Amino acid sequence: MSTVYVCTWNAAGNAAGGGLSDVDTEALTLARKVAADMGAELRLAAVGGVCEQAIADAGRFGVAAIDAIESPQLDSGAEVSCELLLEAIEQWFGGAGARLLLLNQSFDARTIAPRLARRLRAGIIMNGVDLEASSDMIPDTEHEGDQDHIRVTTTAFGGDTRREYALTGAEVFIVCLSDNACEPAPAAEATQPAVNKVAVDLAAVSDRVRVVQRPAAVTGAKLEDAQVIVAGGRGLGESGNFRLVEELAEALGGVAGASRPIVDEGWTDSSHQVGLTGKITKPTLYIAAGISGASQHMVGCCAARNIVAINTDPDAAIFKHARFGIVGNCLELLPELTRAVKG
Amino acid sequence: MRIVVCAKQVLDPDAVNNYALVGKLEIGEDGRSLTQASIPRLMNAYDEQAIEAALRLRDEGKDLSLTVVTLGDDVDDMLKHAAALGADEIARVDVDPSTLDHNGIACILAAYIGSIGGADLVLCGRQASDDDQGLVPGMLAELLKAPLITIARAVDAGDGSVKVVRVTPDGDETVEADFPAIVTISNELGEARYPTMKAKMQARKREPSVVTVESLDLPSDELGRKAVLIRQYVPELLGNCEMIEGGSAAEQAAALVGKLRGENII
Repeated sequence: MSTVYVCTWNAAGNAAGGGLSDVDTEALTLARKVAADMGAELRLAAVGGVCEQAIADAGRFGVAAIDAIESPQLDSGAEVSCELLLEAIEQWFGGAGARLLLLNQSFDARTIAPRLARRLRAGIIMNGVDLEASSDMIPDTEHEGDQDHIRVTTTAFGGDTRREYALTGAEVFIVCLSDNACEPAPAAEATQPAVNKVAVDLAAVSDRVRVVQRPAAVTGAKLEDAQVIVAGGRGLGESGNFRLVEELAEALGGVAGASRPIVDEGWTDSSHQVGLTGKITKPTLYIAAGISGASQHMVGCCAARNIVAINTDPDAAIFKHARFGIVGNCLELLPELTRAVKG
Repeated sequence: MRIVVCAKQVLDPDAVNNYALVGKLEIGEDGRSLTQASIPRLMNAYDEQAIEAALRLRDEGKDLSLTVVTLGDDVDDMLKHAAALGADEIARVDVDPSTLDHNGIACILAAYIGSIGGADLVLCGRQASDDDQGLVPGMLAELLKAPLITIARAVDAGDGSVKVVRVTPDGDETVEADFPAIVTISNELGEARYPTMKAKMQARKREPSVVTVESLDLPSDELGRKAVLIRQYVPELLGNCEMIEGGSAAEQAAALVGKLRGENII
């Protein structure tokens, strides 16, 4: 029986004792679907080990077994570099016999996945939002005769288009899934996954990329975890007006976000950037002030449950995504909204 | 030091965006190509910023040679733009990139870099603005057995090593690696410069070196695709926005907050 693995390096638990995150359960949801298509077994590969809560979570999502990939160098607490993760996954893979490996497309996964694909001679595609096993013909290519393949839907042109790729012609495939690719859905019947410990030897790994200075500790709430985001774009007119966004965000107990153009202009720093090359968010409420709604931005906020659009241009694309809209000047509306929320 | 920038020609993403927004993006008969001749083709903006990163090193007085390489046959205008910006050498590998996957492209670029005697620093855009995949730099790193540093906002290089400020989700991180190294450049690097009129005129006469795939002597099984684009389409948007109209800004704000509270959104 072939195997579909979801690979994560965040299942060992932390101070909060957390289990699997949404991005991992999203991956498990899609993996379970494609494993059923393929008649394959669904497994979890947990680099750095797996905590009790994560084992229970994996069971709820129908995982048959967990490979806990362990080594002293991977022990939680220390910073684990991409080099160590890559080497650990490569060593584990040699004995695992996976057909398909799914990864959540985290910042580190984007660095690791293409290198892993070279090492495993795997077919790979990034930005996956859906996938299925297919036996449709692959039209006018060198693969015309091959039928069974994995068909992956991805975003392209910053979200303007969707693409479908056929993964074929290799023993193993890697798909990186975008955040918020689907709603996590537990399995109809929970399982009690067995945990197989797999020791990897990372003593000889030397990281050729030397860290000179780590990022300063993050202060404040993260955009990725925020329930309310107020984001500003070019419609703010000038740098000083970003505080209007921050004030409304504060009044709502939320976090301030920004479109890429105003980050590029230096109106705020890139830790606030929402979109394709910034943060992928999933709030309950996303207020977009003076943001036109270019696809590159929408990639980062389209999973919001409710989008409110404020824009002077009634034809702005943002209104197509919005639940509520106001055609108007955000410089006037933002302070009024702050007042109304406080009042 | 020798710097190689790998550049990709893409359809202007802003033009694609504009057509997509008004529902007029055309997909060709093959079901996957964007066919509008009116969409300009230009250098991927992140790759242009990779050239900019190299030019800033030269501005600082670093002694360097800059090669810009791409794949394709109708790419001379883009390469002449690179020459006008300051590339000492412009080259194209004569192959249709649509017949390759990212692995095949990386193999060809790695073989090209090997054929010119290697590079101290390979700079790439963080991803291409057409497929957004960002796979080639990591694959190049494996093929060239070089360290990979991604998502750079600043690059300093010389004396056999490179120092990079990376934009990570936790903030800026500074790292370094010895040559040869692969670095991917992000938009935080800042805007790429424009060539001067004089440089543009001079670049018109520059002809790219043309390299055949055969001359790179690649194992044939490396060029077979394992990821094949079979379809492309514009996703449908179901707009059902409730507009809040009439009244002053204060009244509109109050109405909106009322609705958000009414539905327990806030």
